[in-house]
Amino acid sequence: MARPVFYDLNVYSAPEGKNTIEELAAFSSRLEFGGIAIINPSGSSQPVKAKKVHGFEVFSGVEVRVDNPSRLHGMVGKYRKNTDIIVVRGGSENINRAAVENSNVDILCGFGSMKDNGLNHVLAKSASDNNVAISFDLGEVIVHRGGKRVRTLSNFRKDLALVRKYNVPFILTSNARSCYDLRAPRELIALAGLFGMTKEEAVYGLSTIPESIISRNRPSSKYVFEGVEIVDGMPGDATVEGDGQ
Amino acid sequence: MKVLPPTMRENKRYLAFELIAEGNSIISRDELIREIFSASGSLLGDFGSSECNIWLFAFDNNKGVISCNREHVSQARAVMATITNVKGKRVLFHVLGVSGTVLGATKKYLEGVDVFNPEEQSHINE
Repeated sequence: MARPVFYDLNVYSAPEGKNTIEELAAFSSRLEFGGIAIINPSGSSQPVKAKKVHGFEVFSGVEVRVDNPSRLHGMVGKYRKNTDIIVVRGGSENINRAAVENSNVDILCGFGSMKDNGLNHVLAKSASDNNVAISFDLGEVIVHRGGKRVRTLSNFRKDLALVRKYNVPFILTSNARSCYDLRAPRELIALAGLFGMTKEEAVYGLSTIPESIISRNRPSSKYVFEGVEIVDGMPGDATVEGDGQ
Repeated sequence: MKVLPPTMRENKRYLAFELIAEGNSIISRDELIREIFSASGSLLGDFGSSECNIWLFAFDNNKGVISCNREHVSQARAVMATITNVKGKRVLFHVLGVSGTVLGATKKYLEGVDVFNPEEQSHINE
C-alpha cells in the first residue's frame, strides 16, 4: 500500500496566527505533512493565495465567521470561486445548521461548546448528505488541562459516534496558530485514539478526506462533475471516451 | 542473584525524538523529565501512567530516546503531543521513529540527524 499523504487543513498564519507562511511550511514539511491550508478569518485580511513553498503545497482557505446564518450563504458564495477550502466556524445551533446545509462549505469547525457537543443526528445527517466535513480540533486536547480537556474528549466521543452512524466526512486538525502548535500526523492519530478513534479512521480523516476536498475544489482537466472523471482510454481504442468511475 | 528470565521481562518500545525549541535553545534533561511526568499525570493519571511506564532513557542536545510499555505506544505519543512548553520556552516534541531496541532507535533515527532549527530554514531546499 502506498504511504498516505497527510494534510492539516486548519492552520492560521500571520496576522491571525504568529508565524509567516514560509515558517509554517518549513515546520510542516519537517513533520512530514504533504500540505497545509491557511485559513485566516474572513474580514481580517485577503485570503492567502495558494502556492508552493520549496515544493511544499500551501492551499488557500478562508474561515467564515458570522453571527447571522443569512449572511453565511453570501459570504460562502463570495469566496467559493477563488479559494480551495472554505471553513465555517460554528458555535450556535443556527450557524451550525446553516453550514451543514450548504454544500459549498467544505469544513465546519468549532461547533461544540463546553456544555454541548454541538452535533446531533439532524446535523450529522445533513452534513453527510451535503458532504460537509466535521473538524476534530485536537489543539483543544493539547492546550487545555483538567476539566476542559475532559469535556472536550467526551464531546469528541459523542461526535465520533454520530460520525460513524451517519457516515459523516471528518478531518483531524491541530488548529495551529503558530509553528509550535503543529503536531506530526502520527501524534494526531495518537491523540485521536484518546477518544476511541481507530488508526484506520484517523488516517482516513488526515489523508483521504482532505484529498477529496482539495480535488473537488481544484478540478483537473479530466474532471467532469462530482463522481465522474475522464480516465485514459483503452489501448487500441480509436476514440478516447469519458468513463464513469 | 539470578537474572530475571526473559519471558518475565516487560516488553518495551523505544521512541526516538527531537525537541524543536523556541530560539533553538538547549533544554535541560531535568526540566524535560518534570514536564513529561506532569503531562503524563495530567492526561493519563497515576493509574494510566503506571501502565504506560514512560521513562526518559537518554537525552542530549535536544535529541533523545523515551521508553514505554509495548502495548501503550499510542498513549505515550499522545502524552508527548500534549507537551507545549518547557520552562517557559515553547517546544514541539517530534517523534522520529519507534523501535524495539535502544540501539535500533539510535542508529536508525538519531545518528547523523540534525535537530530542526527554527531559526534557519534552508534545509528544505535539499
